[in-house]
Formats: sequence, C-alpha cells, structure tokens
Amino acid sequence: MSNESFSKDTSKTKTYSLVELVKAPTTMTDHGPDNSIFSFPVVAIMELLLTLIVIVLLMAMSLGVNAPLEEIANPNTTTDPAKAPWYFMGLQEMLEHGHPTLMAVTMPALMVLFVIAIPYLDNSRAGSGVWFTSKRGKRITLYTGIYTLIVMPLYVYLDTTFPARELLRGQLPDFVLQTVFPALLMGVIVGLPLLVIWRLKPTSREFVLTLFTVLFVSAVIFTLAGFLFRGPGFELYWPWNMPGHYSPWDNL
Amino acid sequence: MQRIKDFIVNSRVWRSFFRHGWPDNPLDRSLVMTSNIFFHLHSVKVSRKSLRATYSFGLGIMSAIVFGVLSITGILLMFYYTPTVERAYSYIITLQTLVPFGQLLRNLHRWGAHLMVIVVVFHMVRVFYTGAYKPPREFNWVVGVVLLLLTLGASFTGYLLPWDQLAYWAITVGTSVAAYEPMMGSVIKATLLGGPEVGQEALTRFYALHIMVIPAGIALLTSLHMWRVRKDGGLAAQDAPDAEIVEE
Repeated sequence: MSNESFSKDTSKTKTYSLVELVKAPTTMTDHGPDNSIFSFPVVAIMELLLTLIVIVLLMAMSLGVNAPLEEIANPNTTTDPAKAPWYFMGLQEMLEHGHPTLMAVTMPALMVLFVIAIPYLDNSRAGSGVWFTSKRGKRITLYTGIYTLIVMPLYVYLDTTFPARELLRGQLPDFVLQTVFPALLMGVIVGLPLLVIWRLKPTSREFVLTLFTVLFVSAVIFTLAGFLFRGPGFELYWPWNMPGHYSPWDNL
Repeated sequence: MQRIKDFIVNSRVWRSFFRHGWPDNPLDRSLVMTSNIFFHLHSVKVSRKSLRATYSFGLGIMSAIVFGVLSITGILLMFYYTPTVERAYSYIITLQTLVPFGQLLRNLHRWGAHLMVIVVVFHMVRVFYTGAYKPPREFNWVVGVVLLLLTLGASFTGYLLPWDQLAYWAITVGTSVAAYEPMMGSVIKATLLGGPEVGQEALTRFYALHIMVIPAGIALLTSLHMWRVRKDGGLAAQDAPDAEIVEE
C-alpha cells in the first residue's frame, strides 16, 4: 500500500514558496507560555512552608489546650446535655424542629444529593476558576448569605420559644404538625430567594450559587446553634451564660 | 573524591534508585526533572494564577498535610491503646500521665481531627464558589464530596475510642439519628453498633473502621482526587481570563 502523503518523489511534484513574513515575537520568546513558573522548586518550597505552618499551628494549639477527657463511660448516667460531635450538631439541632425522619434523614439526604449533583445542574464552562464567577454572582451570594443569616437564626429562636407544633398537639394529626408543617416552612424559607432569583432570569450557575449559599449558611447556623447555644435540657442559652458549670467548648 | 562519586553514581545500586546519572550534562539534567516523582503530582510548569494564595488558600494541600499528621500521630497512639471496654479508658489515662509527650500526642491528634473537618469543608466551599467543579472537573467534585463524608466518618468513629462519658453519649446520640431512616434505619444502626446499644461490639467496629477501613478509603480516593486534578488540566484558576488578575 502506498502512502500518498509521503510519496518519495515529492521533489518532482511539490513546490514550496514563502507565503508571508510576519514581524512579531514568537510565542516562546522572552516569556513562558501562559505566565507559568517551574513547579520544582517553587511549588515544592511553598508546600513545604505550608506543611511547617500547619504543624506549628497545631503544635501551638496542642501545647496550650488539652484534649477533653471526662469520667469513664457509664451507660446508666446520661450527661446533660448529651451532644453529638460538633459537626453533627446541625443534625441534632434539626431534630428539635420537626419529625426526625424529615429533619435528620430526608433533608440532609436531599442536601447531600444536591451537593453531588451541582456540576450536573450547572455544566456551563464559563466563569470557571473565578470567585463567584461574576459581579452579579458576587452580589447574589452576598444578599442570599445576609438573608439566610437573618432568617435562619430567627426560625431557630421562634420555633423554640413559640412552639406552635407543641401547642396544637392533639388538635391536628401528628403527621401534619411534625412533618408537613415544618417541611412547608423550610420549603418557603429556602424557596424564597430562589423565587426572587428566578425573576432575574438566572444562569444555571447563579441558580446553583443561590441554593448552595442558602443551604451552606443554614448548615453553619444550625451547627452553631446546636453546638454553642444549647445548654442543659437542650434549651437555648447564650454561650457565655450557661447554667451550672456547663461550657459548650468542653464538648470538643 | 571525584572517582568515589563517579563510582557511587554509576553503580548498579544507585542506578536502580535513580534512572539518571549526575546532572552535569543536558540529558541528565532534563532526566532529573522528567523522572522525578514530584512531577507525578505537579506538572513541570504551573500557571501563576493557580498559585495565588487568595485563589485556593492552599486548602486542598492543607487537608492532605493534616491527614499526614493524623496518620503519624494515630499510629503512635495505637502503640498505647487497646479497644476494650475494660481497658480503653485506663490506657488513655496512662497515655496522658505516664507516657512521655503522651498528652501532647493525643492533643495533636484531637485538634488535628477537628482541623481536618474544618479544612475539608472550607476546601469544598472554595471549590464551589470559584466554579472549579465545572466541566471537565465534575467527577472530581463527586470524589471530593465522598472524601468529605469519609472525613466526617473518620472523625466520628475516632470520637468513641477514649471511652469516656463525652465519647459514649456523643456516639449514642449520633447513632440514634441513623435509626430514623425509614427503611434501613434499624439495620444501619445495628450494623454500626453490632448490638442494641453502644458497647464492646461498637467499640471494636468503630476501631476497625477508624484505623483501617476509612483511612484506606481516604488514601485511595485522595490519590484518585489528585491524579484527576492533573488529568482535568490543573487548578481551574488557569482557565480564568487574565483580566481577573489585572483587576487586583
């Protein structure tokens, strides 16, 4: 089989000519492509420095503060309050506001599913590698964050001090009070900023920015509420004004 | 001196370690770079944009560093620990009072564990807000979410091991939430605890998960995660238009 592209008698059939002279620097002259630098040793040294900084900080913390250790485990004496590790305090706080299957299983599961699905909901390539993608994205994140910072602590506080669900117990079926009612309330709180964004004709990125910000800030608020603001009897207190000798920091 | 160096560098043992000679000629100099394991992790040249501290805050690398610290301190802690209901607590007391630097070792592991959860969460938040999950990095985002869940699992299973009141009731509360899962709830709880309540079976299982299963999962997935970062074209920052840099 003969290969026409590389036929041996090119010299007879093909001719070459100078097409154009371009007066411009070649891409490689004087600067590397795309403003890059050698990763060895620059990045290696940066990583080494970061390692040292992390170890020094951890060492300082460990020399200053001892890890907590209480009495030996005793299944017969419940601690008050009994708290999960801090990163699960958001879940434990959720339990205070509705039926466990809704608050501690369904909602967290939906949240994890949403987080996993993010790159498939927003698969545009534009704005990758830029904080908040655009000025508008930055504003959306800021306003959504402020909204959640105001509404969620209010929800936690009001739902605890005016427990409508407890007062109406017996008058409405439990399923309505503990599942339908909190689910609707949560749906409205999370849905409201999405509705506002919807009217601004968002890109998929802006839609995802809104929903993620609501969920992330809510998760932080619920975690802080459970970890810092819940004292004996799992009642709400100021962290610096806990009754007895209880300090939320001892739970770390 | 020169002859000794040449003898060592040209010996079969040295050459089995390093696939190149002394870097005094262009070929060996380039081989020093191209056959270096460091370049398994990073490309030879990286974009300045991806190195800006305010872009990534180094959070991904920091989580790997803290995981390293936790592995080393964890192995040392294993030397002084037995996961039995009768002895676990007294081993912790012994570690803190009699073992040289025992308290410091435990502190490093404890605070390191909290730091890792915080750093991994912040890493995810950073990747989200910089849009670094966008194609072609979708799958690596999913791997990252699984790594976050594994980090929580590692911390949670470790929480029980000191076998004090704090550990016992935290795990009792934490696992009781699992029971509310409508279909598999009781099965999940029974599988985790190995019985109706937190006891010896739970301690044994949590210990196995904490020192073996979860760290192995994290190590494997972290390798995949870092490999994919390179295969997907490095940090997303270098896809960003240059104007973003000028703006600062």
